[in-house]
Amino acid sequence: MLIFLSFSAACSSASSDATMHTNNWAVLVCTSRFWFNYRHMANTLSLYRTVKRLGIPDERIILMLADDMACNARNKYPAQVFNNENHRLNLYGDNVEVDYRGYEVTVENFLRVLTGRHETAVPRSKRLLSDEGSHILLYMTGHGGDEFLKFQDSEELQSHDLADAVKQMKEKRRFKELLIMVDTCQASTLFSQLHSPGVLAIGSSMKGENSYSHHLDSDVGVSVVDRFTFYTLAFFERLNMYDNASLSSLFNSYNPNLLMSTAYYRMDLYQRHLDEVPVTNFFGSVMKTIHTDSAYRSGSNKKVGPAKTKMSLEQSISDSDRIILRNSDEEGPFNNLSVEEYLRDSVGQIWSAIFSNVNTFESIDAFVCYGLILMLPLLIFSTWLSK
Amino acid sequence: MGLPPKATFPLSLLLLFFLFLVLSTSAQQEEFSEELLLKPLPDRKVLAHFHFQNEAPLAADSFARHHHLFPKSISQLVQKFHIKAMELSFTQGRWNYERWGGFDPISSHNAKPPGVELWAVFDVPLHLVDASWRNLTHSLSGLFCTSINFLESSTAYSSPEWAFQSALGSLRYGTLPREAVCTENLTPWLKLLPCRDKAGLSSLMDRPSIYRSFYHSQRLHLTMSSAASDGSRSGIILEQTLTVVLQPNDQNAGMSNVGEIKIQPSWSLSSIFGRKISGRCVLAKLSNVYLHADRGLVAQLETSQKNTAHFATNDTGPEDFRRNSGFELSVAPKRVLKELDKSSSVLYEYPIKEYKDIEQFDLGLMWEHPIVWSSPHAPFYASRFLVGSGNERGAIAISLKSTEMTQQLVANNIEDSCKLQVNVLQVVPWYVKVYYHTLQLLVDERPQVLTDFIERMRVSPSEDKVSPGMMELVLQVPCAMKSAVLSIEFDKGFLHIDEYPPDANQGFDIPSAIISFPDFHAGLQFYDKSQSKSPLLSKLQEKSPVLSYTEVLLVPLTTPDFSMPYNVITITCTIFALYFGSLLNVLRRRVGEEERLLKNKDAKKGVFLRQVLTNLSAKLRGKPLESTPSVSSSSSSSSSSFVSPKLILRVLLVAGIAIAWQYYSQ
Repeated sequence: MLIFLSFSAACSSASSDATMHTNNWAVLVCTSRFWFNYRHMANTLSLYRTVKRLGIPDERIILMLADDMACNARNKYPAQVFNNENHRLNLYGDNVEVDYRGYEVTVENFLRVLTGRHETAVPRSKRLLSDEGSHILLYMTGHGGDEFLKFQDSEELQSHDLADAVKQMKEKRRFKELLIMVDTCQASTLFSQLHSPGVLAIGSSMKGENSYSHHLDSDVGVSVVDRFTFYTLAFFERLNMYDNASLSSLFNSYNPNLLMSTAYYRMDLYQRHLDEVPVTNFFGSVMKTIHTDSAYRSGSNKKVGPAKTKMSLEQSISDSDRIILRNSDEEGPFNNLSVEEYLRDSVGQIWSAIFSNVNTFESIDAFVCYGLILMLPLLIFSTWLSK
Repeated sequence: MGLPPKATFPLSLLLLFFLFLVLSTSAQQEEFSEELLLKPLPDRKVLAHFHFQNEAPLAADSFARHHHLFPKSISQLVQKFHIKAMELSFTQGRWNYERWGGFDPISSHNAKPPGVELWAVFDVPLHLVDASWRNLTHSLSGLFCTSINFLESSTAYSSPEWAFQSALGSLRYGTLPREAVCTENLTPWLKLLPCRDKAGLSSLMDRPSIYRSFYHSQRLHLTMSSAASDGSRSGIILEQTLTVVLQPNDQNAGMSNVGEIKIQPSWSLSSIFGRKISGRCVLAKLSNVYLHADRGLVAQLETSQKNTAHFATNDTGPEDFRRNSGFELSVAPKRVLKELDKSSSVLYEYPIKEYKDIEQFDLGLMWEHPIVWSSPHAPFYASRFLVGSGNERGAIAISLKSTEMTQQLVANNIEDSCKLQVNVLQVVPWYVKVYYHTLQLLVDERPQVLTDFIERMRVSPSEDKVSPGMMELVLQVPCAMKSAVLSIEFDKGFLHIDEYPPDANQGFDIPSAIISFPDFHAGLQFYDKSQSKSPLLSKLQEKSPVLSYTEVLLVPLTTPDFSMPYNVITITCTIFALYFGSLLNVLRRRVGEEERLLKNKDAKKGVFLRQVLTNLSAKLRGKPLESTPSVSSSSSSSSSSFVSPKLILRVLLVAGIAIAWQYYSQ
């Protein structure tokens, strides 16, 4: 019996793994109310524009905006929202569909959208009708802190809530892969409770760090975009639907000096190698086409060669002003980085030689051990001298 | 085959022709028309009123029906919820009844309260009306990107019986005064049009210029057309209107002298919308642009143009209407319609179809002389305000002030028995607890007995968290009355902490009251020679009661300090800590011991060394070490547990310096 059960479980898991990526959904959430949070709405609308441009249709985008900025009485440019000082691009074009807005943007509604537990009367346009072949992009921006994100300045979404919702989605087979992108202070803490496989998370900042706005528009009178989103858009503006830029090239494009925070990626729950995953798997809607010999035959020939992801974009991104952190391994970068900065501050350049050695070591613990062993003969030598 | 082939050919042709006729009539049952009415307003603004009408027959198997022009989503809505009539409006800004008029069809049909207003009449058994309403609100919220679904809760809607419309219990009415109105509401509304905003008059709708306006109201009105024969439902009429009050750019604002009456700013379609009409929507049966000159404006023009006594009545040709004493039109109208009354308004008609020779139709109006006029007013100005201060109680007052219209009535009527009927509908949310027994009426600033004036009254008191309070009144007031104030007192209630909106500090809205004057009808009677069926014209000529909305009231409620629980927790914790700390201190302190310790303080250094040594030995005993038991190495091992590279490096540095110093000193 047990064997049978485990066999069937294995079968089901195998079948869920084998389901193809068939559709793309995006849930874009701006959780902040009030005019001075203009930039959060601009962030969300910029992402909305990007995913629409890259091919996700409006009916597959759930857009949640907590306040009305475009027709706000304080907005000097009615029915327009800008994410840049140059006002070249009106994000609030003629064809924006906002699904949840104003007081509707609550934690409850957000979790209902994710888990699909709505009242029967709720129209289709307000539902996330994804299935087990869906790739979902979940983008959230607002004010947050250690393991929480504020909604409308009155309630919080906790990391546990998010993890529970994602777990429930996984159980209900509402997604194949989920990319969570959060632009808020201490964004990385929001992912700490996630355990569901197939989830990839990007946060704008580490624990204890703030995420800052990029620049202020003196005509609009408030900051118009956040740094993390600004550089994300800078990456996407070079892309079109047919580019094969990989997720790792997106992740590598974040420069901590420009962000003024350290972007955090959680990929231990994600199976595929990021070099092979094009960004359009989440930010666009580019499907593999399967040629079948005859009509109405599916499922048998799913052996499709992996899409070739070219890293051509990586070269184009490495501008002179921007230093790309190329991390060889997945665990090391932050430790190495912090030590590097720290040493430069405290000791000075004499230790740069030593530091180059440090870099070669696997981790700091090994380095400490070596240091201790090195010190022992020195001490013996010094005591021998003093005698 | 009795007929010769010569005869069969015309017969078959005839048959074909009949078939074609039948087909074409069946296809033409769905009709769409687009119209735009422009009207200069007395306060240097321009009113633009778009009117789109879509008609579809109501077939028996409508679910399987294919529509040519009529939006499918709306017909499905009508079928599913059995809607008899419905109106949904999205409005920003407030219609200025004093300046823009309150006695014309546009103000009584299209002046709407700010935010969202929805009413619907259902054709279902009475016990199912609420369920239909709830489902309808959800569907509409999905269709129009709004939070109309907040109207589903029973605290948000009411069912007025006769002050608003008489529908015998199957009418539901709800408003959301704070709902934002923006592009995302206009876009789905435009998508219901067969040409969307790609062609025809709707291509004028440039979003920034519309949302920059002083007032814009976007309305969707559904009615059932009844067959002429038996009065049964025969079709759906969908009427979509957008009313915008725009301010034209004033180029010669600085040129006029002080003290002189300023000339009105000239405008054209391209200057107020930034676009021109580049053709009609080919699917439309009718696409016309009208320019409406107000009754007051025409009267002023006539007085200034005394030498040409016949203004707009002579049939010499439309070119004459281009110029008059007041203004000049950039395009000559094809037709001029005049109202039947003596001094009456004039309507210039421009069918877009007939302006093919012009590349882009751009109607402009150049003012030549300053003209001051005023729009016709409703019998009374209605306004509403709050009385009282503080967070506990207050009063709502609705004031009616007579206008020149009632004064005219008084002048015409010599007998005293002239009475005017005024209907009042006031809906109040439950947390504003109105005491209906405190209703007071002041006529000409003197308190009056209510029963002398109130003909009918219906009150449905509010129930906490269940239903709003509603008051319907029919007042009979004398025509000679200068002013009347209805006031009613209320207490401010408390909400549960979860019920407060995120911006509770802004206050809470009391929806607009509706004041209607059923004795008066706002309809323009045009003398129409060609019997063209223009939906906008027939709407303007329709006799409808004069209606006006009052202001939305903002009531500040007592909002709790939402950070209070945290404050309470911190302060109690502090008090507890202080209390228990001092208690423990008192209980555990041994004064004698302390004094003895103080005496030994001079030998502090020795004590400290000893203490360090005992600590060290304890540590070594507790944790056997593999390294040499020298003092410096143990300290370095303890530092390694901190994983502090700084300390290690410093120790290394010191050791290195020591070695170097030793080496050089020898």
